[in-house]
Amino acid sequence: MSWALPLPVVVPLIAAAVLVATGAILPRRVQDAIGIAAAATATGFALLILAASERHDVLHWFGGWHPHAGLALGISFTADPLGAGMAALACGLDLLVLVYSWTYMRRQSQTFDVLILALGGAMAGFALTGDIFNMFVWFELMGVSAYALAGFMVEELGPLQGAINFAVTNTVGAYMVLMGIALLYARTDALNLAQIGRVLGHRPADRLVIVAFALIVTGLMVRAAIVPFHFWLADAHAASPAPVCALLSGAMVELGIFFIARVYWTAFAAPLHAHASGVRDVLVGLGVATALIGALMCLLQRQLKRLLAYSTISQAGTMLAGIALLDPRSLAGVANLVLAHGLLKGGLFLLCGVILVELRHIDELRVYGAGRRLPWAGVLWLLGTLGLVGLPPLGVFLAQQLLYEGGREHGFGWLAVVGAVASGVCAGAMLRAGARIFLGWGAREDELLSPEPDEHAPERDVSGRPLGIVAGIAIVLGLAASVVPGIEARTELAAERFADTSAYRAAVLHGAAHGDAAAHVSFSLLGVDTASALYGLGALAIAAATAAFGLWHRRLPPRILSAGARTLGPPVTVIRLAHSGIVGDYLLWLSGGALAVAAIWALTL
Amino acid sequence: MSSRQRLRAWIAAPVLALFAAILGWGFARAPAFGDFHGAYGDLLNRIAVPQRHTSNVVTAIVFDYRGFDTMGEEFILFASVVGVVLLLRAVREPATGQDDPVASDAIRLFGIIMVAVILVFGLWLAAFGLVTPGGGFQGGVAIAGGIVLVFLASGYRAWRTFGRERLLDPFEGLGAASYAAVGLAALIAGAPFLHNLLGLGVAGTLRSGGSMTLLNWAVAVEVAAANLVLYTEFLESYLVPHLPRR
Amino acid sequence: MACAATSVALCLDPLRQIFLSGVYGLLLAVLFVVLQAPDVALSMLVVSTVAYPLIVLIAISRTRRERGEE
Repeated sequence: MSWALPLPVVVPLIAAAVLVATGAILPRRVQDAIGIAAAATATGFALLILAASERHDVLHWFGGWHPHAGLALGISFTADPLGAGMAALACGLDLLVLVYSWTYMRRQSQTFDVLILALGGAMAGFALTGDIFNMFVWFELMGVSAYALAGFMVEELGPLQGAINFAVTNTVGAYMVLMGIALLYARTDALNLAQIGRVLGHRPADRLVIVAFALIVTGLMVRAAIVPFHFWLADAHAASPAPVCALLSGAMVELGIFFIARVYWTAFAAPLHAHASGVRDVLVGLGVATALIGALMCLLQRQLKRLLAYSTISQAGTMLAGIALLDPRSLAGVANLVLAHGLLKGGLFLLCGVILVELRHIDELRVYGAGRRLPWAGVLWLLGTLGLVGLPPLGVFLAQQLLYEGGREHGFGWLAVVGAVASGVCAGAMLRAGARIFLGWGAREDELLSPEPDEHAPERDVSGRPLGIVAGIAIVLGLAASVVPGIEARTELAAERFADTSAYRAAVLHGAAHGDAAAHVSFSLLGVDTASALYGLGALAIAAATAAFGLWHRRLPPRILSAGARTLGPPVTVIRLAHSGIVGDYLLWLSGGALAVAAIWALTL
Repeated sequence: MSSRQRLRAWIAAPVLALFAAILGWGFARAPAFGDFHGAYGDLLNRIAVPQRHTSNVVTAIVFDYRGFDTMGEEFILFASVVGVVLLLRAVREPATGQDDPVASDAIRLFGIIMVAVILVFGLWLAAFGLVTPGGGFQGGVAIAGGIVLVFLASGYRAWRTFGRERLLDPFEGLGAASYAAVGLAALIAGAPFLHNLLGLGVAGTLRSGGSMTLLNWAVAVEVAAANLVLYTEFLESYLVPHLPRR
Repeated sequence: MACAATSVALCLDPLRQIFLSGVYGLLLAVLFVVLQAPDVALSMLVVSTVAYPLIVLIAISRTRRERGEE
């Protein structure tokens, strides 16, 4: 299968170039069809690679430059199941988005397809690469296409500001990654991850390695929207058209987290081995802060895209905390979370587009009750929410179960509680919004929610129904993700291979077969353990309570309300004010956060 | 400066100073300036000419050993230009038949000569990229710079001959697509992506480097077209509405 | 080098700033030649002294005119 590795990247990129070259010749519909065909081809190859990588890692040395005596001359793609799975998810979402945009973006320039294809190719390359500079190239391509897509609705001033915040903060993050790469190259004389890992593994980490690690992880955390680097994400989502949000939230943010895991295990696990707990504590702390602050901000939103964006931030925090446990079982949990969350959140964003087309606004108070004539959309919204809260055994449930088990092994059993609270609160906000829109429940006014600029609806002649079908496909796939027979055993096996640094190195540099070709992968059904089921149901209860509070908090006795406002008001106001939308403030938070991370690691590692 | 900006500056100064201190602390362990002894660079210097028949080792790295990075970078340029075009075309006012006459004949004459000189220089840079320093990227930027001089020397109307999206967009797309297509051709032939299929020729001549020659020209076309698209868009949307009307 | 970079950062007038950044790019190109990296020097030369200043200049001229019109 080695020959197929470049294709999920190259096919969309060639298609993007061809669309520009033929812009004046081919009609719009033919161009759209070319784009969809390219994305479908890429998805197909990504799935083939995923299937092939289950047995052993698949490598492709570009230009045929195989390593010479353990020295990598060229660039490699190295597909293991987690990387190939990320690529398949990214390509699949790209395909769904292009199909969705067939009608949704019909009146917009064909540049939209070009940029979506470039973004899709870049994401696949990022997931598959085994070379740290090549990673940076895809990181940048992902960035430039996403910035332009976020500014796509350029006629309105608001969107442009969101795109600018996105571009500026992420460019600073990219500089940090680049500086880290330069340090690593200065030390190891290598760019291939396996080779870097081998050279660094000779001795414990010194200052240079620690600073390089801090720079690379911080830069990736900007893309992954981890507190305090997360501010750009909500602005960018509020600015972007709904299908772009689906890609940003469903795959791009997760890729940032994925590469933190990749670079840790391939390059830094050996030199930082003695200090694993120092790495773990900082990243778990950031993850927990992100999960909780994201959930709180999610609760305060009334613009649906912002609401979902903060829920993405919250989930990204859970993912980072899961990776930070540095344990294969939690890593398997994160992999499942990325898959289920990507599909569900992507579907929910696509559903936002449906709401915008049918009801003309996406502000929950403005479309109060107007969704009664779209019961099917309400059902999809409810299903997506239940999937994200992990109603046993659907959606993110398997992920939560694995994360819970992994955390307990390291004395981080309480992480499951944090996860349940965070996902419960976010889901509560979504239930509240859904109940207002589709049922007309609760109060029409809500002074707790932040007023935000509403979005103008696109042209009127687009029907919501075909769009709803695409959104529905994503949501149903996301719900089913955790009950696919055998997926638990497969992801656990894949995660163990992902974390097996020395075998990865032997496979890349010496061509050894990495993975157990004889391993028997069962198709066993998901076993639900009682404790995890209780956590899932607990999260659901929190969600229901949160939603009920959001809808009917005015009916509470005034004494309780004023006491609550006195104690909770000031901290909530501070957090809300921090999300100012001003890029200078964001950069300040960014540099402060980078300083804190680097300083803690410099002092403790 | 508003009070908010001033506050921000006061907080930022110590934060950035401390961050710089930590960076310096880490960078102190990097090899001393000019004292880097990487085996990778030495190895490539040794093997590139015998293996690739290119006397410019840098080009061999850019288009062969790490040619896949270059493809990604080419698409970064491509996507950025597509993005800029998107942002500018949307807010552009339609150009009307205006011209800004160039005042002096001396400027005109000097400009035209310079156009020729820079074009030849750009073509030379691109063509000899595999032999001497230079290559498709540098040549492409120079070619675009030469063509944009037409605007400065002869005014807007002469410039419109080159600066049209119907003419430039296909080149931009083709440049990017053909780089990837050369790579794909190797894959279809059963070799790894971007494998150098063509005869390597004699080192030190224009016919050295095999597939790298094609990749080099693909980059030259892409870079020149992308730069011209950028200049066109900026000129159209920024200058044209403000030229003196006749 | 350091002086040129600092003056670019501290210069408040955009027009002078772009001129200074061109000078800075030129110096950087010279440095690359001294360090025996002629390929990088050529890239730096064409981008930092031709392409980049040109685009920024056009952008500045537009914003000035718009301000003037208002």
